[in-house]
Amino acid sequence: MLKINNYTNYILEDISFDLEGKNLIILGSNGSGKTTLARVLSGLIPSDTVSCEDKNPSQLYGSARTKLINYIPVGLDIFDEFINVLEFLELNCLYGNHSVDEVLEFLNISYLKNKSCKHLSSGEAQLTLMAGSILHNAKFTIFDELTSNLDPVRVKMVYELLKNEQLLQNKVIITHNLNLAFKLGYDVLYLEDGKIKFFGSNDEFFNSDNLDMFFNKSVRRINNHIVVDL
Amino acid sequence: MHKNLIILLSIIIVCTSPFFGQIEISLANILDTNKMDYQIFWDIRFPRTTLAFFVGGILALSGLIFQTIFRNPMSTPFTLGVASGATLFTAIGIVLGFASFISFFAFLGAMLTIVILFILSSRFQKSETSSLLLVGIALSFFYSAALMVLFFISDLQESYEIVRFTMGSLDIVGFDDVYIMALTGILLLVLILRYKYELKLLLTSYQFSQLKGINVKKVNYTLLLGVSIAVGVAVSITGPIGFVGLIVPHILKIIYKQSAEKLILPIFFYGGVFLVFCDMIARNLGTTSDIPIGVVTSFLGAPFFIYLIINKKRE
Repeated sequence: MLKINNYTNYILEDISFDLEGKNLIILGSNGSGKTTLARVLSGLIPSDTVSCEDKNPSQLYGSARTKLINYIPVGLDIFDEFINVLEFLELNCLYGNHSVDEVLEFLNISYLKNKSCKHLSSGEAQLTLMAGSILHNAKFTIFDELTSNLDPVRVKMVYELLKNEQLLQNKVIITHNLNLAFKLGYDVLYLEDGKIKFFGSNDEFFNSDNLDMFFNKSVRRINNHIVVDL
Repeated sequence: MHKNLIILLSIIIVCTSPFFGQIEISLANILDTNKMDYQIFWDIRFPRTTLAFFVGGILALSGLIFQTIFRNPMSTPFTLGVASGATLFTAIGIVLGFASFISFFAFLGAMLTIVILFILSSRFQKSETSSLLLVGIALSFFYSAALMVLFFISDLQESYEIVRFTMGSLDIVGFDDVYIMALTGILLLVLILRYKYELKLLLTSYQFSQLKGINVKKVNYTLLLGVSIAVGVAVSITGPIGFVGLIVPHILKIIYKQSAEKLILPIFFYGGVFLVFCDMIARNLGTTSDIPIGVVTSFLGAPFFIYLIINKKRE
């Protein structure tokens, strides 16, 4: 169980919720505190209010930490220019059920294997990070805008992979792609100005009234798809 | 690159280095105890070459660790002020009239600097190395100012001794210092090889290392402490020898094109070879006394380094 209890900092205000055996979508406008919340949950920003399986991730090291929670940032940040994709992925091989080659195959990026991580495009970097998360396969994996730099074909592929329950355990997905959020069908947490404005089921969130209220009438539900009304 | 050829050439440099100098030594005489060559070879040249090798290795490897931990390609083993601390205390020793205990004072200065740094670092936030870097740089400036004061109050002879120390010197007789240096070098190498996996994670990003279960602050400080002590020992024996720690890791990265954690042994080896080679030049330029080793490392290293950087940009 992933749990946070009355957390407040410079951006977030009184955040409490718990997640048991379920996946979650986190939505919210730019600057509403989504990434900060993800970093608090994964123990990168230390706090006593977070517990994952009754332990505080920020105080854990080694396998005690890695088996519990993993955070996938928006971009791939690598200092050494000579670390290639294969070497990076090998560092992720922990609890996943598939080999590096298999995972590269799932994501259709076998051609990146020997490329330096520094020379990847932002989309390729995101796919590499996703491959890493499948190899790591922590109890909870938090994805921060996983699909933000992907082309539509890749978004659809990632959607299928997220749907596959065998690849990853519990998923927390931060995204601006409302159609992806809708189709995944996970529970939704909506953040606004650092506060939780909605926490409930997918169906409940994506009704027309809520869409109008949260997205200022710029989003519509058409033929069971959520589209931006331009 | 012809890596095998370079290794062969390096071994030849290290093995032949002791035979060259103001007095040429022939191979036949070095096992004959009655000859002068025997004395020069075993008491002076061989210890000196061995010392140069281990000091070069330690400085180069320290450069790699500093550049990795501080995320700064300009970091050198002396960035945290360890060498300035050693220099200042040596100067204090000389001015106070303890010129024969120079090594002791240098070591004291280096260790005191490390203690100051680590006491201050306990007040920093989690895994924050930039503060440590800035404190180290501030300490260096403070030491330099204090050194100026000492120059001002010391007499000509004392000033000369201080300047000679800051230029670095591999002048030793016998094996006592060599044993200390070799042991330090090997211990440092073992420490760093033991942290190879952690080092590889640190070469990605601190956040990624943390998510992979590494206690980043602890690993960083363990490595910095080990490196600083090794550099402290080296400086106490040879004085600060510049440039080796800065350029050798960069040169090897450019040549090998591999991530830094795979270069631990090559950097140690070629750091050693580089200093042996520089020392050989310093001893053989035909002047009455040796050219200071720090001058040679910079004269040889800087143009080669610039050449490599320009070529790298062109690729």
